[in-house]
Amino acid sequence: MSHETPPTPGLVSSLVRGYMPFVVAVGVAIVMQVVVRPNVDPYPAKLLLDIGINCILAVSLTMVNGFTGQFSMGHAGFMAVGGYASGAITYYTSMRVWGAGEARGGVLSGMLGGEGLPWLTVGDGLFLFSLIVGGVVAAGLGYLVGLPSLRLKGDYLAIVTLGFGEIVRVVIQQTSPVLTSAEEVRQATILQLPTHVGGSLGFSGIPYYTGLFWVYLGVCVTLIVAFRLKTSTFGRAFLSIRNDEIAAEAMGVNTTRYKVWAFVIAAFFAGIAGGLFSHTLGVGLSPEAAGFLRSFDVIIMVVLGGLGSISGAVAAAIIVTLLPEWLRGVAEYRMIIYALALILIMIFRPKGLFGVREVWDRATWAWLSRRKSGTGARGGARE
Amino acid sequence: MSEAILQARGVSKSFGGLRAVSEFSLSLPARGLHGLIGPNGAGKTTVFNLLTGVYHPSEGEISLAGESLLGLKPHKRAAAGLARTFQNIRLFAELSVLDNVRIACHLRTTHSMGSAILRLPKHRREERAIVRRSMELLEVFDLAGRASEDARNLPYGDQRRLEIARALATEPKCLLLDEPAAGMNPQEKVDLRKLIHQIRERFGVAILLIEHDMGVVMNLCERITVLNFGQTIAAGTPEHVQSDPKVIEAYLGTE
Amino acid sequence: MDQFLQTLMGALAIGSLYALIALGYTMVYGILKFINFAHSDVVVLGAWGSLVFARWAERTAGWSQTPWYLGGVVLIAAMVLCGTVGFLVERLAYKPLRRAPRINVLITAIGVSLFLQNTGQLEAVFGTRPASIPRLVGDRTIAQIGLVKIEMLDVVGLFTALSFMLGLDWLVFRTKIGRAMRAVSFNPQTAGLMGVPVDRVISFTFVLGSMLAATGGFLWALKYSQVNQPADTGWTLLGLKAFVAAVVGGIGNVRGAMLGGLAIGLLEQFGSAYLSSSLSDVYVFSLLIVVLLFRPSGILGSTAVEKV
Repeated sequence: MSHETPPTPGLVSSLVRGYMPFVVAVGVAIVMQVVVRPNVDPYPAKLLLDIGINCILAVSLTMVNGFTGQFSMGHAGFMAVGGYASGAITYYTSMRVWGAGEARGGVLSGMLGGEGLPWLTVGDGLFLFSLIVGGVVAAGLGYLVGLPSLRLKGDYLAIVTLGFGEIVRVVIQQTSPVLTSAEEVRQATILQLPTHVGGSLGFSGIPYYTGLFWVYLGVCVTLIVAFRLKTSTFGRAFLSIRNDEIAAEAMGVNTTRYKVWAFVIAAFFAGIAGGLFSHTLGVGLSPEAAGFLRSFDVIIMVVLGGLGSISGAVAAAIIVTLLPEWLRGVAEYRMIIYALALILIMIFRPKGLFGVREVWDRATWAWLSRRKSGTGARGGARE
Repeated sequence: MSEAILQARGVSKSFGGLRAVSEFSLSLPARGLHGLIGPNGAGKTTVFNLLTGVYHPSEGEISLAGESLLGLKPHKRAAAGLARTFQNIRLFAELSVLDNVRIACHLRTTHSMGSAILRLPKHRREERAIVRRSMELLEVFDLAGRASEDARNLPYGDQRRLEIARALATEPKCLLLDEPAAGMNPQEKVDLRKLIHQIRERFGVAILLIEHDMGVVMNLCERITVLNFGQTIAAGTPEHVQSDPKVIEAYLGTE
Repeated sequence: MDQFLQTLMGALAIGSLYALIALGYTMVYGILKFINFAHSDVVVLGAWGSLVFARWAERTAGWSQTPWYLGGVVLIAAMVLCGTVGFLVERLAYKPLRRAPRINVLITAIGVSLFLQNTGQLEAVFGTRPASIPRLVGDRTIAQIGLVKIEMLDVVGLFTALSFMLGLDWLVFRTKIGRAMRAVSFNPQTAGLMGVPVDRVISFTFVLGSMLAATGGFLWALKYSQVNQPADTGWTLLGLKAFVAAVVGGIGNVRGAMLGGLAIGLLEQFGSAYLSSSLSDVYVFSLLIVVLLFRPSGILGSTAVEKV
C-alpha cells in the first residue's frame, strides 16, 4: 500500500528513480547475453529465447484481456504484422546497402568469433529501428482493431479480433515471393518491397539478429511499462472498465479511449515480440504465425496467469513454453492436456493462478492460509 | 432563489412505443436538496440515466451550471460536475476500497500516460494528491480503516457509503443519489440523513435523490418532484406535495 | 449467364451448410449467451463419424453396390454420436459455469474445442491424415441447363438442409418444447420460476444443435468426399463463417441464422467467382465487421440494452 509517501523528491532524484529500472533492464539483458548465453547449450538457450518472446506476448495481451477485460483473440495477428514489418526492413535494407541479407550485428546480437567485434554495430541499430517500426505498425493496426471495441462487447469483440487475425493471415498469403538477388532489390521501388514477403511459402532470409540480449531487453521494458501502467491512475482506469464499465464511465473514465489505448499498447509490444521472433535463427516466418492457434497459445498463458496478473502471465508463459518439454514422452497428448487444464482451471479456479494480483501480494496466498486455518482471510483471491 | 446549477426542461424519452419519461423539468439550485419520488416503474431511474448520459433524451434540454449536457457521454458529464450512485450498487468489486475512490479521482488528473510510464515528477505529485484526497474522503465516510479491503467484502451499508464517497471523489457540483437508504435499518436511515446534510455542507454540492422511504425524503428535501408513469404529477415543497390529491391517488390508488 | 447459374447453385449448396451449422451457434447463444467455440468441432465429429461409420458398414457388409439407405443410416448414427457428445460437453464443462462470468465460459468453450480437436487427432481416433468417405449418394447429373449441371449430390444436400431447417422452425415456434426454449432464451431465471425445466431445455438445445452440426458435417463430407484432419484450420474457419452467418442474421434468431447462412454463401461464392477467389475469407469477415458496426443486432435481431 502506498499510504506512507516519502517527502517530495527533487527533480534529479525523481528522474533517476524514473529511469533506473530501464538501466537495470539493460544490465539484465547484457548479463543474459554475456554471462548466461556462453554457458548454456544452444537448445536451452533457444528455450530461454522462446520463454522471453512468450513473456512479452503474454504480458502485452494481459493489458487488453486482463486489465480492461476486453477479449482479444487476434494477438498473433499483431505479432505477425510486427514480424513481417521488421523483417522486411532489416532484410531489404541489408540487401540494398550491403548487397546481402546476412546479419551484421555485434557481440550483443550473439555474433560470436572475430576478435575485436564491437558490442553494438550499425546492423544492431538497424535491427532496433526495425523492431520499433514493427511495433508502431502493429500499434496502428491495434488502433484500427480497437475502434470496433467502442461498440462491441465480449464475444463479439472476440470474434472480430479472431477475424482480424485471419484477414492478416490471408493477406500475407497473397504477397509475392521474396526478392533474393541484390539486383532485383535495387530495381524495386520502396513501395514494392513490402509486397515481396514470401506469400504462403513464408519469409525466408531474414537476418538472425535476435539473441538473449535483445529478447530480455524487450521482456524487461515490457514488464516495466506494464507494472507502471498497472500501478498508475491509468492502470486503475483500465481495471475499472473490466470491473464495471457503466460505473467507470459514470465516474469520469473515458472508457472508449482507454479500451483503444489498451489495444494500441498491447499491439505495440506484440509487434516487438513479432520482430524478435522473425529474426530468430531456425524460425521460418510464415502466414501461419498470424493464425488463431498462436493466438490461443497466448490466451492460455494469460488465462492461466489470472487475467490481469503480470507476474502470473510471466509464470504461465514459462510453464506453457516448458510444458512440451516435460510432456515430450506423451507429445501426442500435449494439446489434450492443455485443453483439459484450461477447462479445469475455469471450473475450479476461475481466476487463474493469481487472479488480478501479483505473486508477491499477500492476498494472493490468503486462500491457502484460509484453507489451513479455517479462518476467513479477508480479501482472498477466491470468492 | 439562487441560480440553478442543474436544469432540465421538457425532457422526454421513449423506448419503442413506450414513453418512459415525459416532459420532465427540474431546476436544482446550488446546494439544493431535491427529492424524486414515485411508485415503482414511474421512471425515476430513467430520469437519472437521462441526466447522466446513459440514455439520450428524445426531446428536451439538460444543462449543468449553464452549459448544455446534451449529446455528451457520461464521462464528459462527470467531468462537467455530475456524479451519481446506482440503485443496484455498482462498485468496482474486485478492487480495494481505496482504489474505488482513487479511480474516481482519475478524472481530475492532468499528467499523461507517458509521464506515468517514466514516473515523471508530475505523475508522482498527482498520485500522492490522489491518495491524500481519497483517504480524506474515506475518513469522512468512516471507511479509512478498511481502505485495503476488496470493495465486495464490505457490509452492505458500507458499500452504499463507499459509492457516495466515490461519487464525491469526482469533485461534482451536483450529486445524484439513487435510493441511498434502500435496504438500511431505521438507525442507519437516521445516520444517512445526517450524512447527506453533512455532505452538502462540507462539499457544497447540490443533491438530487431518489428515495422510497418517505421519512427520509420528507425530512431531508427542500423540494420534491413526484413521478407516475413517466409524468410529473406534482412538484413543490414536501408539505405541498404531501397534500396533493394526485400524489395520494398515485400512492394509495382511488376507489 | 452459365457462370451466374453455376455460382448460384454453389452458393445455395454451401450457404445451406453454413445455415445448418449457424443454427447450432445461434441456439446456444440465444439461451446461454456465449459463443460455443466447440461447435465447429462437433461438425468435425459429424463428418469423421459419418466417414468411419460408412467405411465400417461397407467393410463388414461387403456390398457389391452401396445400398440407397446407407446414407440415411450413417446420418442418423452421426447425429446420435454428436448429440451424445453435445450433451456431455454441456453437462460436464458448461453447466458448472452457469453463474460464472461470460468470459470464463468463453475460455472453457475454447478449451472444449481444443480438447475435441486434439482427441480427434490421436491415431487411435481419427488420426492426422485426411481420408475420403465412400460414395453414399449416386454421382449423377440429374439435370442440365445450358452448360450448368445440377448434381444429385447438391440437390440431396440442399433438400436435407432445407427440410431440417423447416423442421427446426416448426419445433421452435409451434411446439411446447420450442416455447420453453424461447422462454429460457428470453430470461432463464423467470422461465425457471414459471416451471420451465431450464437445465433440461438447455441440454435439449445442445443436443439439437449438435445434431444439426452432425448433419452439416455429414453433408460437408459428402460434398467434398475428402475429409481433413480434425485439427485442420479449415474446420475452425468453417465454424467461424457459420458463426458470422449467425451474427449477420441476428444472433439468437433461428430464421436469422438461415438467412445469414445463405447470405454468407452468396457473398463468398459470388465474390470468388467475380472478384478473387483467394480473398473469400476476407469478404466474409469484412461483412461481419460492417454488420457489427452498422447493425450490431444483425438483420433480424433485436437490440438488448443493459439495465442500469
